[in-house]
Amino acid sequence: MISLKVDSLSKDFGGLKVLRDVNFTVEHGEILGLIGPNGAGKSTLFEIIGGAMAAGRGRIELFGRDVTRMPPHQRRRLGLCRTFQKIRLFANLSVAENIRVAANETAAGSGADAAVEETLALLNLSALREAHPDELTLAERKRLEIARAMTGTCRILMLDESLSGLTHDESEELIDVVRRLNRERDVTVVLVEHVMPVVMALAKRLIVLHHGTIIADGTPEQIVENPMVIEAYLGEGARA
Amino acid sequence: MRRRDLLVGGGMALAVALVPFIPGINSYYISVIVRALTFIMLGQAWNVIAGLGGQLSLGHGVFFGVAAYAVAFLFNGFGISPWLGLWVAMALSALLALLIGLATFRSRGVYFALATVAISLGFEKVARFLTAYTGGDAGLAVNFRGTAPWAMQFRGPAPFLWMDLVVVVGFYLFTRWLLRSRLGLRLQAVRDDEDAAAASGVDVFATKMVGFAISAAMTGLAGVLHVQFYLAIDPGTAFGLFQAIQIQLPALIGGLGTAAGPILGGAIAILLSEATNWWATVSKLQGADTLVYGVVLLGVVLFAPAGVMGFLRRKRATPR
Repeated sequence: MISLKVDSLSKDFGGLKVLRDVNFTVEHGEILGLIGPNGAGKSTLFEIIGGAMAAGRGRIELFGRDVTRMPPHQRRRLGLCRTFQKIRLFANLSVAENIRVAANETAAGSGADAAVEETLALLNLSALREAHPDELTLAERKRLEIARAMTGTCRILMLDESLSGLTHDESEELIDVVRRLNRERDVTVVLVEHVMPVVMALAKRLIVLHHGTIIADGTPEQIVENPMVIEAYLGEGARA
Repeated sequence: MRRRDLLVGGGMALAVALVPFIPGINSYYISVIVRALTFIMLGQAWNVIAGLGGQLSLGHGVFFGVAAYAVAFLFNGFGISPWLGLWVAMALSALLALLIGLATFRSRGVYFALATVAISLGFEKVARFLTAYTGGDAGLAVNFRGTAPWAMQFRGPAPFLWMDLVVVVGFYLFTRWLLRSRLGLRLQAVRDDEDAAAASGVDVFATKMVGFAISAAMTGLAGVLHVQFYLAIDPGTAFGLFQAIQIQLPALIGGLGTAAGPILGGAIAILLSEATNWWATVSKLQGADTLVYGVVLLGVVLFAPAGVMGFLRRKRATPR
């Protein structure tokens, strides 16, 4: 079953073509990594799928439904959950309230209370429930953003460099959480990431974007051997 | 609500309610308290959209003015009691807010703030021009019927003190509830980050509209109580920029986005205004009160940008 379909998507900023006829699908339960050099169009693609940016041409389908013109809050209620490249939390709300905002919108009725508690426990944030974002470490803030993104109804989790800038242990902890979400809750995962060991550890499939077009699509093993990807992004060292 | 908050808040409200019973109390002092309470409730109303919702309405006086004129017009023209008229007035204020929001809330940036100023100034011009309905520059005087509770008219200021106090306490309890409610969380999420709120499933546009309409209706109620107390309203008082700025002071001084902030801020501002006014009169330094008032407000903005509540919280959080 296809969870996400990106069909002939293009986006221009004035004369600059950021995305050119991008096509791909994401199967239910898949973990897909989107990689590519800076300026490849990954973030733009992420913003368009999330609904924060309008598509130029083309079409986005979520669970078989055309959402190209659907506002981001409705996509979230359908189950499309996302984090941001630069962490964006509700600065004046506590950890529990940050999660509660999303739980209220996506967990039906009194399910919101249970969703908040469950999410706090899953992301190991229960002890910090009353803390405010400015009192958290980077790893805790990243965990909180993922917690807010995945609470309630979450069918596709889009992570925008959520695992970057962390220590090895912190990164391993989050990788484990993402794996559990995927395995235990059937959450499809799409991640944009620059840290290749993280991508290789998590993704079962990689799409490589370069100058707004897909230059490769395959398993991590196939991608690291792809001459075009090596030349455009990974470099010869990746093969070693 | 915590027992301590209940005791402190209830005690303060009771003390204010008993002021008219102090032997030999002058009507002037009761009127100052009425003025302070109106000022506080305006701050509480503005706090809903600006403090909780993060939407900077710079022309909030328009809702105050529209409601004041509406209730006066309905009473003078049709004999409709202000007890009924206030619902029409509040609904008109809310409707106007929805129209302004419809035109501006889909855009980001300063459009909303500028639109509220422009509309407020536009209403001032219209009010000066439509003399048949508004009394023009001279304003509209409400027909006085003596002490007539059905007409919300009294010869002394004490009933207004009690009515205003009930509204201030009501607004305070409402804000406390709102802060913890689903709508309140939506408003605060939108205030902190619109994109993150939308990505969390919050309908940003609808949230702003609802918050703005509630804030406008609350402002309208303050307008009704104001016009019933003074029995007159004029374009400058109703829609002038001074009014719009005044509305923002209680929450800014006391602490934006908090339930107690506008009460503290409004009380401080009125006390300060009265003290500097008295000092300027005694020392025969005309205009000095405005100067001192301005300097103190500047001090609050510079040294306590989160208001008195924020300052107190920081103090409490600082290890000794």
